[in-house]
Amino acid sequence: MTTPGISVLDGKYMVTMDLFPQQSKEFNQVYAFYENLKQGRFTTTKCADCGAESFPPRVMCPECFSTNMQWIDWPNEGTVIEFTEEVVGVPLGFGKAPLVHALVDLQGKKTMFVRVINCAEGQLKVGDKVRVAVFDVDPVPQEVKGGIQEIPRVFYAFEPVT
Amino acid sequence: MDRNVCIIAGGMSKWGVRNGSQRDFFQEAAKACYEDNLQVNPKEIDGLLVASAYTERTSYQTHLAPLVAEHIGVKPKSICARVELLCASGSSAIILAFGLIKAGQADVVMVMGGEKLYTPQKWEVFYSELASVDHDWDGPQGLGLPPPVFAMVAKQHMKQYGTTKEQLGAISVKNRRNAALNPKAQFQQGITKDEYMNARPIVQPLSLFDCCPITDGAAGVILCAEEKAKQLTDKPLVYLRGTGQASVNNMSANMPSWTTWEALKIAGQEAYRKAKIEPKDVKVAMTHDCFTISEIIEMEDLGFCKKGEGGPFVGEGQNDLGGKVPTNTDGGLLGCGHPFGGTGIRQAIEVMKQLRGDATQQVKGADIGLTHNLSGFIAAHTVLVYGREPV
Repeated sequence: MTTPGISVLDGKYMVTMDLFPQQSKEFNQVYAFYENLKQGRFTTTKCADCGAESFPPRVMCPECFSTNMQWIDWPNEGTVIEFTEEVVGVPLGFGKAPLVHALVDLQGKKTMFVRVINCAEGQLKVGDKVRVAVFDVDPVPQEVKGGIQEIPRVFYAFEPVT
Repeated sequence: MDRNVCIIAGGMSKWGVRNGSQRDFFQEAAKACYEDNLQVNPKEIDGLLVASAYTERTSYQTHLAPLVAEHIGVKPKSICARVELLCASGSSAIILAFGLIKAGQADVVMVMGGEKLYTPQKWEVFYSELASVDHDWDGPQGLGLPPPVFAMVAKQHMKQYGTTKEQLGAISVKNRRNAALNPKAQFQQGITKDEYMNARPIVQPLSLFDCCPITDGAAGVILCAEEKAKQLTDKPLVYLRGTGQASVNNMSANMPSWTTWEALKIAGQEAYRKAKIEPKDVKVAMTHDCFTISEIIEMEDLGFCKKGEGGPFVGEGQNDLGGKVPTNTDGGLLGCGHPFGGTGIRQAIEVMKQLRGDATQQVKGADIGLTHNLSGFIAAHTVLVYGREPV
């Protein structure tokens, strides 16, 4: 890794330039979300006191303020309410145009506005079924006991159910 | 102590793709603001609030307010701090200055806002926008740049209410025409309906002229207590009457509705209640036209027309000069550009001029004016009401 113009940063990792979240337990208390995602499970936290299911996952319940959280599985398949295809201005890190997004009804849990991958331009239609698709993203070179350890990471988009 | 608060001066740098740094633009804006009212001695300014959203990212600078104070020749003693709420940073800073002056914690406060967004490599600002939505959850879906979000809003508004591409175009043509009369605006040329309809697509149904640009620039205003204002200006007094700022969700998954902006309705009602006015009393408005569809929904949710009738309302020219509520008479975001922290200040300047009676495109009899911003993933709304009379 080189950083042209800033020689002192050659070989350095910058969290402020990372488009994906930190996923290790040292830097994120909801790291279980990503551990579960690696197993193909789409999960979130449910409040063990009032039963509220929040997304994104929480450390504290925003309804009753309990910190008694438990992990639950959410559906990993939903229905396309509407979609968009971005043909100009796709941000760095999201491949070639078009960048497809869909507003997905996750079986009544939430309406998620998400990226749809493995989907050709013009392929997606309102009413289509889509499912969670997990993919690897760049690992974080994290300092561990004086050395650098690569922490593997994943993230999710949705893909058409074919 | 509960004092009336006036806005007594305002000015901005040239906005656009600019040569220069953030601090250069703040100096240009301060100079323009000082020249707008020569009765104010900048040494009398006791407070400074600076609105900037990307200062850390594109200028690598925190602790910005003392830096700006040093460069613009102000020595604050009541407040000297930066305020950030992305696109609503400037309006947020005005609200805070209003509160401080009203409560007697400050007397004369300068509020500045601005950004240097273009960097030596253009990709950087677009990449930085991943920090403006929920970075951990919406950003990694490629939702940092707003066009897909507002395309989704437009598609649903069209489906739900029959809003048309031509109606979106009415906003773009109007605001670009107004900008052409504003020498500080990024765009100095209007566009025709044909140019609008034939522009290259960005995210359907939005094309190039539906989207505001990336902009460098800064702006500044001076607020003070009414008693001071009477000494410091011979122009008609313009009062800040009431404000509201609301947020009901941040991440996209928690948006209650994509076509009715709940937080805007709340912020608007709060501002109207405090200002003791109704929507029909607003004679001129600067609403957040980051995208054409935004201005249409804002007409509805601010109560200027019925829900779902925003399309016909703008299509018939009801928010143009001569209509019910002339909107973005200085060119708006679509015409002036949008240096995030500067936008709310720019809106305040235009409303101040309209209420003083010295605007370039003067709305006759303007006695109540409104400014509005949305910010983030349509995650907060900010509304300010100004008037020729105090509440």
